[in-house]
Amino acid sequence: MMTRKLRAFGLRLRGLFGGAREDSDFNDELAAHIEMHTEDGIRAGLTREEARRQALIRLGGMEQTRQAYRERRSLPWLENLLRDARYALRGFRRNPVFTITVIATLALGIGATTAVFSVVDRILFRSLPYAHDDRIVSVGLVQSLEKQEFMLGGFFYEWRDNQRPFEAIASQGTMLHACDLVETNPAQLNCIHAQAGFLPLLGISPALGRNFLPEEDRPNGPRVALISYGLWQDHYNRDPGILNRMIDLDGSPARVIGVLPRGFELPTLQAPDVMLPMALNEGLERKALPGTPMRAFARLRTGVSIAQGKAELEPLFTHTRDTLIPAEIRKDFHLGIRSLRDRETQDVRLTAWILLASVMAVLLIACANVAGLMMARAEARERELAVRSALGASRGRLIRQTLTEAALLSFAGAVVGLILAEGLLRVFLALAPTGIPFLGRSGLDFRIALFTILLSLVCGALFGLLPALQMPRAVALAARPIHSRQRTLLRRSLVVGQIAITMVLLSGAALLLKSLQNIEQQTLGMQTQGVLTARIALPGFRYDTGQKKMAFYLLAEAALKRLPGIRAVSFTDSVPPGGWNSGRRYSDLAAQGKPQSAQGTGGSVVSRVVTPDYFRALNIPIVQGRNFTEEDRTSSEHLVVLSRLLTSRLFPGEDPIGKRMRTGHDGPWNTVVGVAENVKNNGLTEQDEPEFYSLRRSAAEDWGPPAPVMIVDAALPPKAVAPWVRSQIAGIDPTVPVKMETLSQSVSKLADRPRFQTALLGFFAFCGLLMAVIGLYAVMAFGAAQRTQEIGLRMALGATRLQILRLIAGEGVRLIVLGGVLGLGAALASVQLLKSLLYNVEPHDPFLYAAAMLLLALVALAATLIPARSAMRTDPLAALRWE
Amino acid sequence: MGGKTDVWQGTLALMVLRTLETLGAMHGYGLARRIEQTSGDLLELNYGTLYPALLKLEQEGFIRSHWGVSDNNRRAKYYELTKGGQRQAKKAAAEWEQTTAILARFLAPAEEA
Repeated sequence: MMTRKLRAFGLRLRGLFGGAREDSDFNDELAAHIEMHTEDGIRAGLTREEARRQALIRLGGMEQTRQAYRERRSLPWLENLLRDARYALRGFRRNPVFTITVIATLALGIGATTAVFSVVDRILFRSLPYAHDDRIVSVGLVQSLEKQEFMLGGFFYEWRDNQRPFEAIASQGTMLHACDLVETNPAQLNCIHAQAGFLPLLGISPALGRNFLPEEDRPNGPRVALISYGLWQDHYNRDPGILNRMIDLDGSPARVIGVLPRGFELPTLQAPDVMLPMALNEGLERKALPGTPMRAFARLRTGVSIAQGKAELEPLFTHTRDTLIPAEIRKDFHLGIRSLRDRETQDVRLTAWILLASVMAVLLIACANVAGLMMARAEARERELAVRSALGASRGRLIRQTLTEAALLSFAGAVVGLILAEGLLRVFLALAPTGIPFLGRSGLDFRIALFTILLSLVCGALFGLLPALQMPRAVALAARPIHSRQRTLLRRSLVVGQIAITMVLLSGAALLLKSLQNIEQQTLGMQTQGVLTARIALPGFRYDTGQKKMAFYLLAEAALKRLPGIRAVSFTDSVPPGGWNSGRRYSDLAAQGKPQSAQGTGGSVVSRVVTPDYFRALNIPIVQGRNFTEEDRTSSEHLVVLSRLLTSRLFPGEDPIGKRMRTGHDGPWNTVVGVAENVKNNGLTEQDEPEFYSLRRSAAEDWGPPAPVMIVDAALPPKAVAPWVRSQIAGIDPTVPVKMETLSQSVSKLADRPRFQTALLGFFAFCGLLMAVIGLYAVMAFGAAQRTQEIGLRMALGATRLQILRLIAGEGVRLIVLGGVLGLGAALASVQLLKSLLYNVEPHDPFLYAAAMLLLALVALAATLIPARSAMRTDPLAALRWE
Repeated sequence: MGGKTDVWQGTLALMVLRTLETLGAMHGYGLARRIEQTSGDLLELNYGTLYPALLKLEQEGFIRSHWGVSDNNRRAKYYELTKGGQRQAKKAAAEWEQTTAILARFLAPAEEA
């Protein structure tokens, strides 16, 4: 039965496009019907006329029958819709500027909103892939050198046994570590340690096999491993016999007991290849001070907020801290609890909110623009509507017509907008800095696309309908269209609103731009041009002693130094200006013969362990004393070079050369041999920190972890040097992977995030400006056109062209000034949001606001002058004859 | 119910199918007359309503049409049942009988129930 109905529907659909032939066919049939009926009547004794009259009466009327037949032949509602659509399209073709403007505005609004929302959705709204993700928190200690919560073995067991706010608490290792899969098809993998309770805490169960058993999470327990879905798929070809297989990790066997679910990620957003039991010795950890470091996560009891949980945990924290942490650094440790989302998204949430807010502003402007344009158009067509209504079109018909137009425009805008969104998303991804979580996996979100399309439809329809709803008005048929005060006011408010929002966007963009400029143009205190860094990952199980590592690195250094065009080769444990470095507390440092610094930690101090060429490679001047020398490398003395900043704090007003300092209470005393100029060493946007350089001597103990980074300064371009470096290292050991990067690249990467923020906000400000100007232009041009007659009259009465110009442009200027001032107020009020993103920029910098205002005013003025100029050129005679 | 009865939609389709089943091919006017006759002139068909009903049946594939020549040499459009239409005529008739049988029980005099 369904198919019959469908068949009928299909035929009726086809009926929409047939018509003439079927009509004549049915006319013939009807004619035959009437004829036969008439003949029967005559046979019954009636006159021909009477018989025909009877036949027509029994039929129920020719025209009515035809109408009923036509309605059955095709789909009347669809027919009407198509007629409306055709009519609308004709209208659009007659007025292409209006059509293109509306579609472009809608496309921008829909496209930008969809793209941005697709990006921020995962950061701000989408739930995390763990059970009860809203109750999972990252919990532990924080201190000045480590702002991400961390846990120590001693604390962990005390907390686990005595805490009240959590249902469960469990830890993973502090970081992924490289491990080697040794078999016929070897691979270097990322391994992570985790406690038996870790996966259950997250609500994750293995895709295959099982989780660790408690007895496997003990020292000397059975060695077992969980492998990732990716490893199972790519390395083992989804072998169903993977369970219980023995694999060789770093030279010792482990039994595979399970496969992690597809796409599993740790709460630290890393994807491990292999997960191993942490297997801590609880008894030892409880006694050890302070115990093995780890990252702990916990699930709050239902109904317990993070603040409550923190308050409940505080006494336990204070107690354990006071028993486990030495008194002199105790004050630096605090309790840290953050929601998992905060832990994962770190500081990008603010960026995400700002993006979202600015794109919403753009959407608002777009809506206001469409509304304004639709209103202007509807008003211009008031008479046309009045005529149609006088000719018998019902109000419903006119409303349907308007809705059809709005829907068509929205549809076109949506199609273009979605294409734009896809493009924008690609641009975002290309521009985006690494380290914005989830970004790589963003795809267009069609729920949002649908939402924006509906919103734009409502904008268009609502304002398009306003005049149609007031229709039909007899007045509209009057010779002159009546100027509706209310609608003019509404249209002007829309424009003022658009200008105000644009002003907010523009000033935000100006602030960020200035900030980016500050970041990029600051002096780093070192050279980055022509400097190459190489990170060499030595497999730990073959290079298992400091001696073996040192031998390798020294061979590499010697080999590279022999190459032509290489000016300096140095090893360090970290590279400025950003990224990881080995930090110390200032209060840990002691100068010989001086009392330990007073209260507090004194902030962080950067420490690097470098070979003598470090300062030459980065071109950091030694301002006092001397650099390390090659001879120093084999001496048994401990030597340091201090940064100027550290010298001024540790030895204020003294000659530091020859003085001695040490770290901690029992470290060896280091002799200061020189003072180096300060370099940017705490990222691009943070305050510089004091720094000291220890000599990396040619002794095994100086080459332990962390793995050193090689810095190469070459006279030749890095592109040419990189392959040489690679081949020299391969000459020593062809199996070690080398990761190379120019220093300029890594510095530029540090500015990626501000650049991303600036680019996006700038783009939105530009879109907003464009649309606001279009809106302003439309209102001005429309207003001028409506006043053509008045202008003609004024000119005929002796008004000069300049006066006319002033008359028309004056209105525009009033709107601009009003919108600008409102926007300025809103911008000043909302700048607090941006404050933490700004570097060396005064948030109320009057110059920047003036620049934004000026740009807005200039562009907006241009938009009012064009219609004003054409009004000025009005020919008074033609104008008076207008209409 | 006195006088002549209007034909309500739905039953008209069944009447058309049944009539075509007994008559074979027939034109619209003939169908209308035949339906009235069969009803013992109790039904007064508004002939105009017949044509949309025929069109609907044709769209659903129960009947097909072709131009032919009538008894008195007049060109007319003839309708006849398709295979599906024959099945549908039987099916609809059976359903209708069932419906009327059920209704008949409700309309039977109260003491018999």
